[in-house]
Amino acid sequence: MKRIGKYSKVIAMSAAALAMMAALSIQSSMAYFTTYVSAGGGGEVSLRIQTVVHEDVSEMTKHITIENVEDNDCFVRVRAFYSGLVSIEYKNVGGGDGWYDGGDGYWYYRPVLRAHSTSSQLDVKIIVPEEFDKDTFNVVVVQECTPVIYDDAGNPGAEWDTVYSDYQRGGKN
Amino acid sequence: MKRRKASQRRKVTYGLLVLAVVMLLASAVGSTRAALTYYSENYTAEITVSQIGVSLLENGETVSSRDYNKNKWNETGNNGSASAVLLKNMLKKDEKLALNKKYDEKLSVKNSGTIDEYTRVRIYKYWVNPDGSKVTALSPDLIDLHLVNQENWVKNPKSTKECTELFYKGILKAGAQSKPFADTIRIDKKVASEVKTEKNGNVITTTYKYDGVQFKVDVEVDAVQTHNAQDAIRSAWGVDASALGIL
Repeated sequence: MKRIGKYSKVIAMSAAALAMMAALSIQSSMAYFTTYVSAGGGGEVSLRIQTVVHEDVSEMTKHITIENVEDNDCFVRVRAFYSGLVSIEYKNVGGGDGWYDGGDGYWYYRPVLRAHSTSSQLDVKIIVPEEFDKDTFNVVVVQECTPVIYDDAGNPGAEWDTVYSDYQRGGKN
Repeated sequence: MKRRKASQRRKVTYGLLVLAVVMLLASAVGSTRAALTYYSENYTAEITVSQIGVSLLENGETVSSRDYNKNKWNETGNNGSASAVLLKNMLKKDEKLALNKKYDEKLSVKNSGTIDEYTRVRIYKYWVNPDGSKVTALSPDLIDLHLVNQENWVKNPKSTKECTELFYKGILKAGAQSKPFADTIRIDKKVASEVKTEKNGNVITTTYKYDGVQFKVDVEVDAVQTHNAQDAIRSAWGVDASALGIL
């Protein structure tokens, strides 16, 4: 113990000198040229759709237009339900690329129904037998919409066969 | 005898001390020489050459750069400051994001320095609520940043859904621009798979569970010198460059 005490200063100085040398060598091995940049961004997914069915009736014909009152584009289709004794006829009033018969009971509006715009008119003529009480029959128009989905070629389309699942209200996490 | 032995030990100890001091002085002299040459005319020119820099490009435009020049870092971003914003021009005025639509998002890296370098890109994808909290139920895979030129950009096999790590294969020469590592971005239609429809008179409202969520893409680009590349890359990025095949 006495001997260690005698040389303690010398040992401490030697250790300090070695530590400084080691520190110098570490510093040189870590000095690499590096740099970096970063950037970030994103966008909002806005999906809510709200449509209003406008129906005017005259001379046993329903004149139907669909108005898109939200900020998002969509596709729409319409179907009329009625009792067995009544029959109906659809007519694409605007002609051209408006409404067409999908062959599955629905009439489809071909163009994208843009945000805050209204479709062209679809007429549903109600035909009842002569003896039928014209005050008691009921024809109900059902309208459905679906978001605009793009295909790989960049063309907008509707996926009416997609099965969407209902969700419970609450958090999105 | 005892006195002679003690004297010998002391000589050895002092000898070691002198040796240590000489070595320390020698190392100090070395650094002094380096400092002197730094300010000498000849070596000033050499230091000017050794300026590392890197830039991130989006659709051909520089969005962010950080270059060493005249003893300071020049940092620029496309947001009027050092911060940089991606996807700024993805949508036109009043245009809404369409599902499954591919938007141009060509991302590449430019060596804006004056020395060659190796580069790495990290891409983070995630969803946030309008209040800024993360949406963990939505998969980052629904943010489809389409990666291209995979023969030039080597993907780290340890990449995750949230973070993709790409290494540029080979040296990116001073002033050169890499091939893009991404070309388009697309939001998958599956984000609209959960829906609720309510009818109120002649008004039909269709509400989607993830209406209003925001997708986020963050990109980081790192560059490192080519001298002593194996060690430099291991030190800076913690990976074995040879094993990844990027040298």
